[in-house]
Amino acid sequence: MRLDAKMPGGPLEKKWDKHRFELKLVNPANKRKFNIIVVGTGLAGGSAAATLAELGYNVKNFCIQDSPRRAHSIAAQGGINAAKNYTNEGDSIWRLFYDTVKGGDFRAREANVYRLAQVSNNIIDQCVAQGVPFARDYGGLLANRSFGGAQVSRTFYARGQTGQQLLLGAYSSLSRQIAAGKVEMFPRREMLDLVVINGQARGIVVRNLITGEIENHEAHAVVLCTGGYGNVFFLSTNAMASNVTAAYRAYKRGAFFANPCFTQIHPTCIPVHGDYQSKLTLMSESLRNDGRVWVPKKPGDKRPPHQIPESERDYYLENKYPSFGNLVPRDVASRNAKEQCDMGKGAGETGLAVYLDFEDAIKRDGKDVIEKKYGNLFQMYEKITDQNPYETPMMIFPAVHYTMGGLWVDYNLMSTVDGLFVLGEANFSDHGANRLGASALMQGLADGYFVIPYTIGGYLTGTSLPDVGTDHPAFRDAAGQARSRINKLLSVKGKRTVDDFHRELGLIMWDHCGMGRNDEGLRKAKKMIQELRGEFWENVLVPGSDGDFNQSLERAGRVADFLEFSELMIRDALDRRESCGGHFNEAFQTEENEAMRDDENFCHVAAWEYAGDDKEPEFHKEPLVFENVELTQRSYK
Amino acid sequence: MTTAKTINLTLKVWRQKGPKDKGKFETYQAKAIPTDMSFLEMLDVVNEQLTLEGKEPIAFDHDCREGICGMCGTVVNGRAHGPEKGTTLCQLHMRRFSDGDTIAIEPWRAMAFKVVKDLVVDRSAFDKLIQAGGYVSVNAGGAQDANSLPISQEFAEKSMDAAACIGCGACVASCPNASAMLFVGAKVSQLALLPQGRPEAAQRALSMVRKMDELGFGNCTNERECEAECPKEISISNIARLNREFLKAGLFSSVK
Amino acid sequence: MNWFVNTLGTSIGKKLMMAFTGLCFCGFLVVHLAGNLTLYGGKDFFNGYVAHLHSYGPLINVAELILLTLAIIHVLTGTFLFFGNLSARPKRYAVNKSAGGRTIGSATMPYTGFLMLIFIIFHLFNFHFADHATQTVFDIVSNAFAAGGYVTIYIISMVIVAIHVSHGFWSAFQTLGANHPKYMPLIQGLGTAFSLIVGIGFGFIPIYVFTA
Repeated sequence: MRLDAKMPGGPLEKKWDKHRFELKLVNPANKRKFNIIVVGTGLAGGSAAATLAELGYNVKNFCIQDSPRRAHSIAAQGGINAAKNYTNEGDSIWRLFYDTVKGGDFRAREANVYRLAQVSNNIIDQCVAQGVPFARDYGGLLANRSFGGAQVSRTFYARGQTGQQLLLGAYSSLSRQIAAGKVEMFPRREMLDLVVINGQARGIVVRNLITGEIENHEAHAVVLCTGGYGNVFFLSTNAMASNVTAAYRAYKRGAFFANPCFTQIHPTCIPVHGDYQSKLTLMSESLRNDGRVWVPKKPGDKRPPHQIPESERDYYLENKYPSFGNLVPRDVASRNAKEQCDMGKGAGETGLAVYLDFEDAIKRDGKDVIEKKYGNLFQMYEKITDQNPYETPMMIFPAVHYTMGGLWVDYNLMSTVDGLFVLGEANFSDHGANRLGASALMQGLADGYFVIPYTIGGYLTGTSLPDVGTDHPAFRDAAGQARSRINKLLSVKGKRTVDDFHRELGLIMWDHCGMGRNDEGLRKAKKMIQELRGEFWENVLVPGSDGDFNQSLERAGRVADFLEFSELMIRDALDRRESCGGHFNEAFQTEENEAMRDDENFCHVAAWEYAGDDKEPEFHKEPLVFENVELTQRSYK
Repeated sequence: MTTAKTINLTLKVWRQKGPKDKGKFETYQAKAIPTDMSFLEMLDVVNEQLTLEGKEPIAFDHDCREGICGMCGTVVNGRAHGPEKGTTLCQLHMRRFSDGDTIAIEPWRAMAFKVVKDLVVDRSAFDKLIQAGGYVSVNAGGAQDANSLPISQEFAEKSMDAAACIGCGACVASCPNASAMLFVGAKVSQLALLPQGRPEAAQRALSMVRKMDELGFGNCTNERECEAECPKEISISNIARLNREFLKAGLFSSVK
Repeated sequence: MNWFVNTLGTSIGKKLMMAFTGLCFCGFLVVHLAGNLTLYGGKDFFNGYVAHLHSYGPLINVAELILLTLAIIHVLTGTFLFFGNLSARPKRYAVNKSAGGRTIGSATMPYTGFLMLIFIIFHLFNFHFADHATQTVFDIVSNAFAAGGYVTIYIISMVIVAIHVSHGFWSAFQTLGANHPKYMPLIQGLGTAFSLIVGIGFGFIPIYVFTA
């Protein structure tokens, strides 16, 4: 099967306009005849469900939490990019597009990224209209700050809670549609399978997490907005319930999975501090606006930070990348932190941390200014570590944060299964091999507010969608499989808990498929995962029953999928014989330890097709064509 | 990070099989708990232990574990989200407790929040409140330029103070009357302070207050417990603003 | 007028009624206290004040009627709110601990209110419905406060009133929406001062009469 991205022709700036014109429209009166399932209520899902309902479609919206307001988009701190150029620094749609393509290490589609930059401005307008309280200057106009990978201030923010405010904006629009009866909301539901009939996605099977009941839901199209798979590493900045199950089930039903090895390790997180730890906490990238990253010059220097004189500190980012300094992109910052720690220059007891120091910023601007900008982040840091960052530098270390890989989608955001659309972090489309800060919020909302509303109409009008009911054999089959899987998990009655397996899997992935990768480690990890998976199905202990609120059972299903999916990540990592963005294979680096791409052989999207449980997945290639930007070695020096 | 100190605790945890079950306290020992651990991680450890002993682990809601999703929350020794000010349960660390402490853990208790299981409660009433009017009626696509309406920094900041609400329900849980006035006050204030929210301000105040009464929340008696327990430290000045908006809407606007 | 009933029938509406009637009572307390202070001027001065008051004739009856209406509204609404609040939490907590928001005044409002109601009835029977034909008001007061028991009851009652007002005063402003960063501390201070004035002002009268 040849992957057809359905890329419109013509010049880059005209593609989206032209495409929108060419898409068939659904008559307003006919929209109410179509039912659409949206899974997830984050920035992508919430905005998509609300907008589709506003247009007149009947929407069924599902989420795993007790309320759509709690999707993990809520935890995004720093901000959202837009090419408004309110700061008069020379920003433009083209510059945002260019920065994003370059930031992604030239592994994203030009046309998708350009469209993202185009609609970025509409997003800000829309959110302000919803009552999102963005930060403002004294004159009452919107304020901006700068983020990694850009030399202009284009990031809009609401304190350190931008994701929360944008999500609550989408949630309020969604709530309005629920009240209007256009969206039927199903909270505390977990999607367990996709139902494909005659090659078209026609429904989903979900588990009611309170009653344990397996439910079938039918629709004319399914929109997956189920986020990323960072929790495959067990420790990540993701929420506890974030998982790959929905996407992985779709993959098993025929949707290709693209670039699964592209995972983002965020440079500024609170370091790991114990075996019992359940998650890692991110400190917004915005901190790098004012904080200076350093380590002791001398390896093994264990003096407390204030005893290390200026001359014995190594501000390695500022020294190595004078033009971007502390604001280099995330992958670069993370890799450099690891490099310093590998040299024995790490701070703290574990030696796995670098300092992020605000002393100079506080001297320059005063404590008040810093507190106003980052007060809530400083407070959060102090709560967790019991150290006061106004007085002693923060200790930070990279942690798994975001996954650029995801289900393959075409320009319409439709996967390789007809009628299955994938939005937000769950798809692979816009960030290439590395996502820039403040771009995830932009993409989620772009997909939901301004892309899917048009492209789904084109699919629905141009497609014959015969009536199917939830009594169709395909539904019975999928629900039966979901049930038997649950029963299987409960019947093992082994000796190890689900978290125990998950923790072990996470360690394998972090050690061998994390910030630095090599062939030997990846092969070893693959074998270890297979063994662990074997043990899981023989020795997992899942208490309780299936007809009840059973959190252990929920986790067991997710970990079972991670145990399969992780192998796909490793397969993809082994296959990509280059380093780019978040994928760093130690065999492919420049003399200065930067990622070395191989544009000749690997300037493509790797899309994997499920071929059966015992078979290797099938590889498909979507070549990436760059007509508007020149592929260069990324330089932030 | 400080070197891990450990403590031993006795937990009295509310166990309730479902909404219809009567429920009771069960006592568990939590041994050698490192003080760097968060409260939820401590519960994780107890749950692992219960699972291995063949018992059912304690059900409790949690998700982001960084204090923003609003999913977690129980009453710890009589205090919503535990003894620390401005903190969600997931951000509460065990260094706040001493060796040998007994900790009573109960679910949020309110007519409007039914217990689902153990420490998990049904907070869908909050969603219904927002559905009653906690939004600005704008469809995607029609918005004017974001900078066309300047908003003074003072109002934007106050609006943001109110918007910081995470919908966890601690205000209801800690209110002696199980009132939802801080939650409603925060949403009404956030939007009433912004020009975008003004056109519907009267209708919003009336609809949300009526819905609040209908859902079985109690009445505000200005005891200020909500403000003291709110993990985002949302001020009761937002309740006063709600009262003002409601008074204006009910007696002086043409909205019925 | 359906909209009016609908507005006042909500939880905030009921609170508005409590606040409005409560503030009216605060006003009444000021007038009542001012009048009572004439006691310190001696028998003739006090009886003169009483005579002056009675010279308003029917106006006094109107005022009494208004006070009675306000009282009925305040008591009935308060009762509704009290039971409404009880049923909003059918299952109570095993452990209760304040986060620091509550005060003695706020935590005891319904109870101090109930005790005040009993006191007011007692008080009205003592003074208002007493035999005014054969004795002056001053005589009634001096006779009553000659007994130590009466003095004690009145002093305790005045402490209760002070506690009730200590929360009620600022709380009424909050409920009416008058919470402003510049003025709220002033209102709260005024509330404390007012409760002290009311408590001490009224509370010292029985002591003064008893010892005089």
